[in-house]
Amino acid sequence: MSLHGGIPDAIAADVKRGEQLEWWTLGWMASVVLVMWLVMGASQAMKAAVIEDLLSLVPAFVFLISVHWERRRPNKRFPFGYRRANSLAFLVAATALLSVGGFLAYESVSTLVKQEHPSVGGITLFGHTVWLGWLMIAALAYSIVPPIILGHMKQPVAERIKDKVLHTDALMQKADWQTGLAGIAGIVGIGLGWWWADATAALFISLSIIRDAIGALEQAVAELLDGTPRALDTNELSDDAQRLIATLKGRFGEVGVRLRETGRYIAAEVDCPPPAKIPTAVELMGDDRAWRLASLSFRPE
Amino acid sequence: MMPRLLRLLLLPLALSGCNALPRDASGTTEQIERTGTMRVAVLPATPDAAPALALLRSYAARHKARLTRIAVHGEHALHWLEDGRIDAVVGHFAKASPWMADISLSKPVARAEPDDSRQPVLRIARRNGENALILATDRAVAGSAK
Repeated sequence: MSLHGGIPDAIAADVKRGEQLEWWTLGWMASVVLVMWLVMGASQAMKAAVIEDLLSLVPAFVFLISVHWERRRPNKRFPFGYRRANSLAFLVAATALLSVGGFLAYESVSTLVKQEHPSVGGITLFGHTVWLGWLMIAALAYSIVPPIILGHMKQPVAERIKDKVLHTDALMQKADWQTGLAGIAGIVGIGLGWWWADATAALFISLSIIRDAIGALEQAVAELLDGTPRALDTNELSDDAQRLIATLKGRFGEVGVRLRETGRYIAAEVDCPPPAKIPTAVELMGDDRAWRLASLSFRPE
Repeated sequence: MMPRLLRLLLLPLALSGCNALPRDASGTTEQIERTGTMRVAVLPATPDAAPALALLRSYAARHKARLTRIAVHGEHALHWLEDGRIDAVVGHFAKASPWMADISLSKPVARAEPDDSRQPVLRIARRNGENALILATDRAVAGSAK
């Protein structure tokens, strides 16, 4: 591994696992989009669900692209490598999540304000005309299963490789299955003659998605502005960053210590002359997190 | 979030055990049964309205009601349908009709769907959200095509 490029051996297997999960995500979610598209009929709610599922593919795409770039070596034009591609991907993924929440909220409010009464009629299959709502419910039930499983599998991997894009994608999967459940409640509601049920359920879900997305955007902006490394799921400082600050101050006294995050990697700057023996990453971060510290520099005034 | 979602999901399912889905959002079917009348308008220039009217008459009869033709001019008929002042409109509509978001159009009556989605053919227009009526008339239209 070079200072500014490549993926450390310590996390190579987990990054590979993350890539596998994202390829699975693209495959399964494409099948979900296809099934939903086949049964959506003239239902605006189902159209919104299909658009939402299409948007939900964005984090998986940007994760795969950013890992591809992260492996590239620095060159004359990019001497610091491409590790910040992960930070950029995080911003894109968070924006996609916000778009999904915003789109869902707009559709729901617009339906409620205009008092649109959704029509779900019959579809003739093999000579029998059945209520299209039953097929929509079956498609929505199918749309719930892959995101629950994939989101559950992504969370621990995202934590181990400190990948906020993968974490945001797990949030997107949560948005997917929650929207699917809301959709089922909505279709059953339409069946019962409650025209407002679909939009009301979707509005509740959209608020939760928007809250997650704003949290992710705050972190993404902090990362691009060289803020101190944040935790995966909140805007609080990450535990290992706080421990590193304490360790550096313990070694070099009450000096200024600045940390910033480039993708999943931490760069540290200490306001003191370089010591005779520079501490290793293992000494500062411990065995399991040594890979996180990509750079340590000293500034004598 | 999860318990609230589950409650929202299970309540309708529990309720749906008593009645077959779907039901009308504005109760058109109940109103037809209560008043014994199904109000239908036929758009001008619909010389072949008979098969569609026969389907609606049979639907009304199943609900112990009879068909009442309402005289209303062209576009007003569709506004009246949107407002619930009439229960169905028979006329020629294209599959890609500019009205398609405002009303629920059936498949073509007594003929196959034309290749050109802009070609108007005989259809029954129903009020949006009246899903019991919509499904029942969809079934009748599909049956008539056999």
